Amino acid sequence: MSMDLSISRFWRKKEIIYKLNGAKCKSCGKVHYPPKNACPYCGSRELELVELPRRGKLISYTTIYAIPEGARHQSPIYYGLIDLGVTKITAELTDIVNANSLKKDMEVEATLRKTQEDRDAGLIYYVLKFRPVLVQK
Amino acid sequence: MVVYVEGVGMTKIDRHYDYSLKDLAANAAFAAIEQAGGVDGIDYLVFSSSLSSLQDNQLDTASYLATSLGLRGIKALNVEAGEASGLAAISVAKSLLESHQADKVLVIGAEKLNEFVSSKVYKQLQMLYDGDTKSFYNIGFAGDAAILMRLYMDTYNVDRELMSYWPALMHSNAKENPYAMLNFAIKPDKVAKSQILADPITLLDSYPLGDGAAAIVLSNKDMSSSPLAKISAIESSTGYGSIELSEDPLLFDSLSEAFRRISNIADTSNLDFIEIHDSFTITAMIILETLGLANRGKAAELVSTGYFSPGGKGPLANPSGGLKARGHPLGATGVYQIAESSLQVANKFPGVKANNAKKGLVVSLNGLGSSSYVALVEGV
Repeated sequence: MSMDLSISRFWRKKEIIYKLNGAKCKSCGKVHYPPKNACPYCGSRELELVELPRRGKLISYTTIYAIPEGARHQSPIYYGLIDLGVTKITAELTDIVNANSLKKDMEVEATLRKTQEDRDAGLIYYVLKFRPVLVQK
Repeated sequence: MVVYVEGVGMTKIDRHYDYSLKDLAANAAFAAIEQAGGVDGIDYLVFSSSLSSLQDNQLDTASYLATSLGLRGIKALNVEAGEASGLAAISVAKSLLESHQADKVLVIGAEKLNEFVSSKVYKQLQMLYDGDTKSFYNIGFAGDAAILMRLYMDTYNVDRELMSYWPALMHSNAKENPYAMLNFAIKPDKVAKSQILADPITLLDSYPLGDGAAAIVLSNKDMSSSPLAKISAIESSTGYGSIELSEDPLLFDSLSEAFRRISNIADTSNLDFIEIHDSFTITAMIILETLGLANRGKAAELVSTGYFSPGGKGPLANPSGGLKARGHPLGATGVYQIAESSLQVANKFPGVKANNAKKGLVVSLNGLGSSSYVALVEGV
């Protein structure tokens, strides 16, 4: 099952999920995330990994209460569609005070957070989530 | 090429704690076989299910099922395409008939969404979406659709209340359907007040977790005796299936392409009814707009005017009650849609009937359109 935790899957994806590496197509110039084996827009296999900006703006968002197994203690889960300029990504949002504080165009930035743990093996898995950028007053 | 629907069978969608996947499949299959005039000539079983191999710890289910149904010796295979599995299975069955690999095919779709507690099922349903990114998060099954619904409402300035007419229409239709899981009426204002699954999606914007099975017997023209209906065309396409990859997530690119393809080989105008994949209210709105049955951003308003209701000016939408209220046992859903549509054009559907229905369009897709299937069902 795709959501079972796999150490090798996390290891393999470390450049992508921790460094936030997307892929830029050398043919059409478009950037996508996460990197596919060919460009999803033009089919070219000439791709190069590019580090994506770690800061972006919320396009849309949701507060999730129908929580999957293993994450109920994290309820509610905040989740957003984020415009990073060069491309869009979806990611969990974190450090959200309450659902009403989420706003379209809100600035968010990537931060390393726990996502799941495997109690039997004693492993904790981390991912990049996005948190609101604190505004200086 | 055209294939014929000889018989159909459906179980009521429900929480069938007393029945196994195979029990439900047998119930639907035996009804379809009886209507088709018996097992003679059935030489292939195509079995559709999404989660059952995982839930029942069983591989090669189609073969075990064939033997369990007393059909040992026929050919059998599994088809899995997430939520689109049912229509994908029928598409494969049609190809088997067209290529004369089979003369008469039994297609069964079966799924149980009440086999485990809901939080486990939410996690399993997350598998419908692109695992490359989503599998590292705990977003369940409604997160992406919720983001899409808010985007839709923001982009077109559509309010929550207007979105609520679709679920109300689905419940109103399902009330007449003896196979529907939620066969009771609701008022539109109940939708926003129901439990929030993933804001703005509420329980009543979503499908119930149900168990069910549907079956159809398909044949070539030279095998058919007294068919209920014909499937004149099936088309499909793959697509982004992802809000972040798509440049225009408020249309489903795979559905747009599948519909273009079917319109090239068959006449898709003058539809009497449609059976579409309304996994969420937002999915229904985007499907109506992708098919051109509503202008962009206007589907919710058109639904609220009664355009798609019984007696309305447009094609009757989901006389079954749709995924929303008939129910959505994933891999079985597409088979239900074709079974219901076949009964519609034969004037035998035991629920809301489209008047003198001759032609209906069935739409099934996975997730947010990783694949889309469309089928044209016509009377004979």
